[in-house]
Amino acid sequence: METSKFFNWVKEYGWRHLIALMFATFAVYPILFVATNSIADFANLTNSKLIPDGLTLKHYKLLSSDPLVPYFKWLYNTYKVALIAAFFNVFLGTLAAYAFSRLQFKGRRASLLTLVIVQMFPSFLAFVAIYLLFFQISDIAPFMGLGTHIGLILVYLGGSIGFNSWLIKGFMDTISPSLDEAAKVDGATDFQIFRKIIAPLSRPILVVIFVITFIGIYSDFILAAIFLKDKNLWTVAVGINTVFIDDFNADWGVIAASSVIAATPIAVLFIFFQKQITGGLTAGSVKG
Amino acid sequence: MIYLSMTLSKIFRYTLLAIFNALIVYAVPLALTFESWFFLSLILVIGIFVNIVYFTDRFHPMKWILPGMIFMLSFVVFPAAYNTYVSFTNWSTGHILTKTQAIGVLEDRVFTPDNQKGLEFEMYILQDLDLNFYYVANLDSENILFGKAVSDDEIFSTSYAIHEPSLFMNGEFSTPDGYYLLSGKEQIANSTTLQELSLVIDKNTRAQLYKISVFGASTGRLTSTSQLYKYDEMNDALFNNATNTLCPVVKDNFECEGKEIEPGWRVYVGGENYSKLFSSQRIRGPLGVVAKWTFQFALLSVIFSFAVGLLLSMILNKDGLKFQRIYRAVFILPYAIPAFVSALVWKGLLNPDYGVINSWLAPLYEMLDIEPVKWLKTKESARSAVILVNTWLGFPYMFLITTGALQSIPKELIEAAKVDGATGIQSFWRITFPLLMVSISPLLIGSFAFNFNNFTLIFLLSGGGPPIIGSEVSVGWTDILISFTYKLAISGGRGNLFGLASSVTIIIFALVLIISAISFRYTKRLERIYGNI
Repeated sequence: METSKFFNWVKEYGWRHLIALMFATFAVYPILFVATNSIADFANLTNSKLIPDGLTLKHYKLLSSDPLVPYFKWLYNTYKVALIAAFFNVFLGTLAAYAFSRLQFKGRRASLLTLVIVQMFPSFLAFVAIYLLFFQISDIAPFMGLGTHIGLILVYLGGSIGFNSWLIKGFMDTISPSLDEAAKVDGATDFQIFRKIIAPLSRPILVVIFVITFIGIYSDFILAAIFLKDKNLWTVAVGINTVFIDDFNADWGVIAASSVIAATPIAVLFIFFQKQITGGLTAGSVKG
Repeated sequence: MIYLSMTLSKIFRYTLLAIFNALIVYAVPLALTFESWFFLSLILVIGIFVNIVYFTDRFHPMKWILPGMIFMLSFVVFPAAYNTYVSFTNWSTGHILTKTQAIGVLEDRVFTPDNQKGLEFEMYILQDLDLNFYYVANLDSENILFGKAVSDDEIFSTSYAIHEPSLFMNGEFSTPDGYYLLSGKEQIANSTTLQELSLVIDKNTRAQLYKISVFGASTGRLTSTSQLYKYDEMNDALFNNATNTLCPVVKDNFECEGKEIEPGWRVYVGGENYSKLFSSQRIRGPLGVVAKWTFQFALLSVIFSFAVGLLLSMILNKDGLKFQRIYRAVFILPYAIPAFVSALVWKGLLNPDYGVINSWLAPLYEMLDIEPVKWLKTKESARSAVILVNTWLGFPYMFLITTGALQSIPKELIEAAKVDGATGIQSFWRITFPLLMVSISPLLIGSFAFNFNNFTLIFLLSGGGPPIIGSEVSVGWTDILISFTYKLAISGGRGNLFGLASSVTIIIFALVLIISAISFRYTKRLERIYGNI
């Protein structure tokens, strides 16, 4: 009786747990490995283990003290660029979305369709042209040319503004038009309707789009890599790759520590907003 | 109150416009000086457009759309067009400048006529902390000249040497603070560099190192310089004052007696880049390999991560299964880590000498008595590793979307099939899977398109390597089209082949267009979009 109950359990549930556990290990092992190695006392790659013998913060200290590796400068740069770009991205996207959602004008359909078509091509595809473009802008306006954060922010702005305004427009369409019509009767201007009614009601989607754009820019490698030549201006993605690659074995502990610092905030953000990010609405827009 | 806010918003608007117009006014003459016709037209079009929109009320909706649109047009649409233009030029290392700029550079070159090499004097070579060379030329007590030693290219931009009597106190040379005096031996060690340098005394006179002395001061010599090249507009050629020859234009360079003069300039070359891609055997071969692998990589990545994701969502799709929420949370984790971090971490794990993967597999290697796999170092291992890691990166997304889709399939359908005697496998392949594909396939195509250009993973994990031997351009076995382009344009070690790289980009554009067209057709998303508008 007992054994048949057990076999039933195995047949119904047990094998599921087995496979699930297998893949859970696959999923979580590299992450755990790096997390523990970042605080393990012996962490060159040869001696590394999942469960460390002793704990230490020395890798984090090393990371913050090496003048040749301005890691926290990179981190600061990344947050600066990503926050500014994401903010303007959402701001300008919202303005455009308002027009698409609430104003009637000629060419509205065509512009919306153009947005969708343009967004099929990720902006980094034309990186050669972007590079040459800003190479020449450097002559004319050095403050926003190649190698500057302003230039990079401009490129990021262009990159996803179309897609974002498309998504925000979709949300604004669900806000009942009777609200703004009533306001219009009371003599409100477009700007007042936008500021007092539509924008506040769109806040949920704006937060989500801001987070998605932020994560996207934070994780970008290619544009930052071609843009930023000065070590002190690098973002984390560029810096982490170029410096630590030199000696993987000896620097492993520091690599692990830097990975933990770079990944944790994004992972937390992602898990917090996971439902909205993957809610079909934005499927495949962050990563595939 | 309303009046006040209106005027405030007006003041705000006009201030912004004034700043904008000031920028335009600032940029136009600069664009003219640099002959950037592309920019000039871009700046003018945007400038006129913005002013019309914000100063009149005729295009009211545009006031809302224009700011975002400008960025999209300038940094997405325009680069795409510009990219197309670049693909028809020879733009590359040695051909970066416009013709006028190249002539400017060449006309700045100088030479020393033989009959003008003269006067000799004591010379001291110094080096500062940044390892720049400085010369001190002791011509006489009134002319103890000190200054930075520059190469020929910098002669016209550097400042003249200055008289520094303080360097000779009591007739002895004293090294100034912050500088290091090079000994004769060190001068010999650096002689190739030093030969190219000169101390600029005035417009036409320079001091150069003439003889290095191991004991005591070296000897310098004054030289007068003349312009080497003069552009002859009539013949569209360069006149070489040293040899008294005329150097005509040959395509994109001046040629003196059969020798190309660097730098050349960029010109329109028609379809030359494209024909090079398809006809030059040493480029066509690697391009074919890369293109084929790009498709294989994207397809296999989608298939594997979809298979794993679907398997897991099927397994968890069971009422009464314990720990469901924990499993779900764990399966999503790889998706939450930024891809650039994951790629780097996996590179560490896969390291053939120190990595965990090989220490795990060590017993297996021993059992089978084979050499440990040199992960990422051989074609097959690199390709498998790239797919493995991408599966790890991609399956959580597949898990999420298939979980959603499975839950939306009505249970009654499966029940009904069971009643009709279908086995579990039958009802999966006949009912669940087809229904799943209806909602999932556009997302799969999206994922395919994403991986088609998954530069971050390839570049950070394998760097595109291992290299394909015998190719004219730098390329590796795991390079996909976009990373191949990157190597051509930026980091290939064969200079910057912008023109050629752009032509590869155009191919990617075309392929992405085809993929998107298939996606649109397949899912009729376009109609939905139309319906939505």
